[in-house]
Amino acid sequence: MKPKTTYSEQELVYLLQQRNEKAFAYLYDNYSGALYGIVNAIVTDKEVANDVLQNVFVNIWRKIESYDATKGRLFTWMLNIARNASIDEVRSKGYKDSQKNQPIADSGEIPGAVTGPVIDDVGLKKVLTKLKGELRVLVDMSYFQGFTHEEISQALNIPLGTVKTRIRSALTQLRTMIQ
Amino acid sequence: MNTQEYISSGIVESYVLGLTSDEERREFEQICAQYPEVLAARTAFELSLEKQAMENAIAPPSATRSNILDLISNSDKIIPLQQAPVKKINWFKYAAAACLLLLAGSIYWNLTLSNKNKELQGNYDNTVAELSELKKEAQVLQQNPNVKMAAMSGQEASPKSFATVYWDTTSQDVYLLVNNLPKPASDKQYQLWAFLDGQPIDMGLIEITEKPLQLYRLKKAQAAQAFAITLEKKGRPDVSKPEGTLYVMGKL
Repeated sequence: MKPKTTYSEQELVYLLQQRNEKAFAYLYDNYSGALYGIVNAIVTDKEVANDVLQNVFVNIWRKIESYDATKGRLFTWMLNIARNASIDEVRSKGYKDSQKNQPIADSGEIPGAVTGPVIDDVGLKKVLTKLKGELRVLVDMSYFQGFTHEEISQALNIPLGTVKTRIRSALTQLRTMIQ
Repeated sequence: MNTQEYISSGIVESYVLGLTSDEERREFEQICAQYPEVLAARTAFELSLEKQAMENAIAPPSATRSNILDLISNSDKIIPLQQAPVKKINWFKYAAAACLLLLAGSIYWNLTLSNKNKELQGNYDNTVAELSELKKEAQVLQQNPNVKMAAMSGQEASPKSFATVYWDTTSQDVYLLVNNLPKPASDKQYQLWAFLDGQPIDMGLIEITEKPLQLYRLKKAQAAQAFAITLEKKGRPDVSKPEGTLYVMGKL
């Protein structure tokens, strides 16, 4: 029997829920890069990012029973698992400790003239740079750093309702950017 | 309901990106089930997000694939217990063994849970205390409308770093919110700088603590166009000029 090379999303979910390892390998081959991209946007340390990716896939395998197609696409579900795992990792004590002993490059000097911030991020984070300063900060703090609207309101001294409307407005701008 | 208005409110994106509250999420799911056009908008955003993520994929190290496949393959061996050919004669033996295993597992599970609970309670208490402290400090800023803000983004040495400066233009007080800076080595420390016409002005040294969001009150600034943080050697005789690595920087 010739192995099947592509699956519809429905088939894939069905096979994964049946604990089909071939379907899981297919899932990995098709989505690991995209999920690794989001992990890397949150977790700076490459080695740690790799560990997080492993946890993400183990979690997908374990939790696939709870995936509900009426609530969103499979990729959306996996993307949220990846984002949450990355934020949890960055906030863990172990991660903070591991960043202590990193060698520091002695290349950066204060430039004479002040220019805008240097950003060399990729993916969604790159899209983010097109947002106006404050909106960018809001999306960054909420999506990539996982702060709640309440925490952002406190930290940036902006009323809670305003935080929410501005994040919403930033997100609709993001949508038109990635369309 | 005006579905177009609802769709363009940003709720669709918030939901898909996981930024809604539980209540908003439930409401959105109900509305999706009721209004096909909302569901269509959700699917459309999901697809463009997926496409965006696919186009920006980063290939993981090649060894990761087999690591993960091994991990799930091993975890799987535990599941199909009932499929093993168990002969009738041995039934009681297996059942007894399974009971013992279950008992041992349950005791272990309970102990772990109880420890975990204690740990979580401790973490929670600390977080609540930290938050109320931060609230108090933030109130100083809230009372004054003349506060300017500079969001400082990570530079080459640490692109993911991020910190925010609040500068009270009337009292000239400078507050620093460290959102994300790596913990420095024991012989180094961070220093905040203000920039006026391209010239750095020392704003003070920063003691990083374990707290996730920390507000510092630093030296006063009479005028500034931008702020930056560098990592410097501890105990420098002259701290008036930056010598170390630039970490974050941002304009007012």
